[in-house]
Amino acid sequence: MCDPQASRLRWPLRLATGAVWGNPFAMKNQKSLRLRVLQLKALRISALRIAAPSGLKLLWLCLFILACGCSTHAQRLMSPRQAFYSNQLDQAHTQLAKLNTKPKGDESVVELDLALVELLRGDAASAEQRLRKVRDQWDHLEQTSLAEKATSLLTDDQRVQYSGEDYEKLLIRVFLTLSSLMQDGIDAESYSLQALMKQQDMRIRAQEKWGKEIPESYCVPPVAPYLRGVLREATFSNYDDAARAYQQTLQLMPDTPFLLRDLERVTTGVHSAPGHGVVYVIAMVGRGPYKEETEQRATQEALFIADRILSAVGKYSVPPTLAPIKIPQIVSPAKPFEVVGVELNGIPVSTTVPLTDLQQLAEDSYAAKLPDLMARTVARRVIKKGAVYAAKGQLEATSPMTSLALDAAGVLWEATESADTRCWGLLPREIQILRLELPAGTHQLNLEPVTRGRPVANKAGCLVDVVDGRNTYVLSYWPDLRPIGEILVSGSR
Amino acid sequence: MMVVKKRLVFGFACLLAVSGCRGYKYGHIVKDSKPDMVGSHSAGSEVYTPLIEESVAKLLGACETSPAANMLGPDGLPQARKVCFVGVENKSSEELGDFKEQIYELIDTQINRSQAFEAISRRMVDSGLMETRLRPDQLLVPDNMQLFTAVMQRSGQPVDYLLFAKLTSGTTERNSSSQRDYLLTLELVDTRTGAYTKEQATIRKGYHKSPLGKLANYSLFPAGR
Repeated sequence: MCDPQASRLRWPLRLATGAVWGNPFAMKNQKSLRLRVLQLKALRISALRIAAPSGLKLLWLCLFILACGCSTHAQRLMSPRQAFYSNQLDQAHTQLAKLNTKPKGDESVVELDLALVELLRGDAASAEQRLRKVRDQWDHLEQTSLAEKATSLLTDDQRVQYSGEDYEKLLIRVFLTLSSLMQDGIDAESYSLQALMKQQDMRIRAQEKWGKEIPESYCVPPVAPYLRGVLREATFSNYDDAARAYQQTLQLMPDTPFLLRDLERVTTGVHSAPGHGVVYVIAMVGRGPYKEETEQRATQEALFIADRILSAVGKYSVPPTLAPIKIPQIVSPAKPFEVVGVELNGIPVSTTVPLTDLQQLAEDSYAAKLPDLMARTVARRVIKKGAVYAAKGQLEATSPMTSLALDAAGVLWEATESADTRCWGLLPREIQILRLELPAGTHQLNLEPVTRGRPVANKAGCLVDVVDGRNTYVLSYWPDLRPIGEILVSGSR
Repeated sequence: MMVVKKRLVFGFACLLAVSGCRGYKYGHIVKDSKPDMVGSHSAGSEVYTPLIEESVAKLLGACETSPAANMLGPDGLPQARKVCFVGVENKSSEELGDFKEQIYELIDTQINRSQAFEAISRRMVDSGLMETRLRPDQLLVPDNMQLFTAVMQRSGQPVDYLLFAKLTSGTTERNSSSQRDYLLTLELVDTRTGAYTKEQATIRKGYHKSPLGKLANYSLFPAGR
């Protein structure tokens, strides 16, 4: 009973007779499917117990050690991100900078996290520099490297240099626009235009790759065209451009009252009344989407059945799919509050309005590429099993012990895979905005988190200098009930 | 046989090395004598540059022959007329992107180069619009025009003419091909009399999903079929 060769034959024989499994294609209802899964689990456990206790126990031990030993990107960045969310920006910066000196294929996302920390510390110039660097790097990485692809098929997706999710590529340009606005704003128009051009480029490529079901609005953060409109409106002579940009934003968020007002203003009105300027309060609310490792049980079971069939009909056995198939999934914590209330000189005036839901963007982007991701993951397993099978052929591994040893090596090889959880993790959950037209002069602005019309935490204040006919931008980040770092005001430095 | 096999393996390795690595981006200077690159999805330099050259030349030519061209200064010499170029309005189906500012600058510079006209600095124009809080399209209303010219006059920039540029497009679809006609219209308005001169230039461009689209639509099966 302990003969591995015998165990190799036992599963396929049962499969062939259908005594245990029945006809898999005939199982249509949920009950039979559940029964099949239970049968599979029971069979696998009993087979492992019966087949080769010492060898497979060792294998399970190795798997356990490997599972404990492999750290994903999410685990590496846990500590600096905690420091960031505890408002310890200096500590977060130090830890991220340290990680940046020992990159593990995640240097670009560490750079992006650093950029956000620096932006909120008030160092917009340095943030802009880092964002530009990653933007250029990701543009370069859009070219395919066959060598990297081949390596990733033998290992996992983390071996490929991270070139960013599509929504992250656009958000880099949005944050470049914001970083520029927090300084002199000289490059803000270029960045805002780059965001829209990049989206067009990505949309065309996505449609070529995944078909025409990819919508025109693929991955556009509404804040990107909106910022373009804001900047063009402020020129006083390009209202047609502003109208186009607001129209585009409105298509992404139909019937949004403040967008309808903006569109009306640039179609028939002017930027602001004489003697007035405009303040844009931009609030980043909540903790943004990040990736977590998850196991694809259904795919694993399917592959397990397939490799048993192959083992039955082939000359040699293939390693059983014991190691879990890991893929990333998008997770985002709930928002800590709804909107940011704005007080002007001690009087509540309005609240911000959600403009971009990053969780939705991340999910849309992930859904578009999921079939590709799954195909790569399955292909990787098939290649690994094929390699072990070929090795058995080369070594003519007919003895049960050699076969078991190679299968064990194959399982170990498969177990080294981790999901690629690299992402720009310090992004907010939502970007909200409020437009205020105010008389020129200095104003005290207080911001406070609001849920169901009631403030839920203390307010944070800042002084804003409103210039006649000009825009002023106020930027804050609220991952929880209090803002991180400084409330940034453009032109205050 | 072995030699052939080795060569094949070597060739495959070379191919993998060439195609398998990420390349760098390279740039080069395009000589004036070389034609512009032709955009595959939208109009670019190949459309806008000739449109501007033609429309401005036509406008300047038309103004040379108009009676207003004979304005003389106190010294008896022909006086350059002050033109306030208000802006480019994009009414085409395409986003102008970074070309809008370039179109403005190209028109502005070409007008300034002519002996008959002198363009007012754009910064002054923007400042005037901001001060009056007028939209460019409101300047043709007599009261608004008066207010704007008064503000410009106060800034030491008297305005003889207002210049408006408008880009429009018209698209004809035929199966997977399309033809887009780009039209640039320049409108010069005399601030004293309200009279205007209008000139246009047009360029037609075909877009095809297949390299044979041009042949199929314009040579083998020409218009009307």
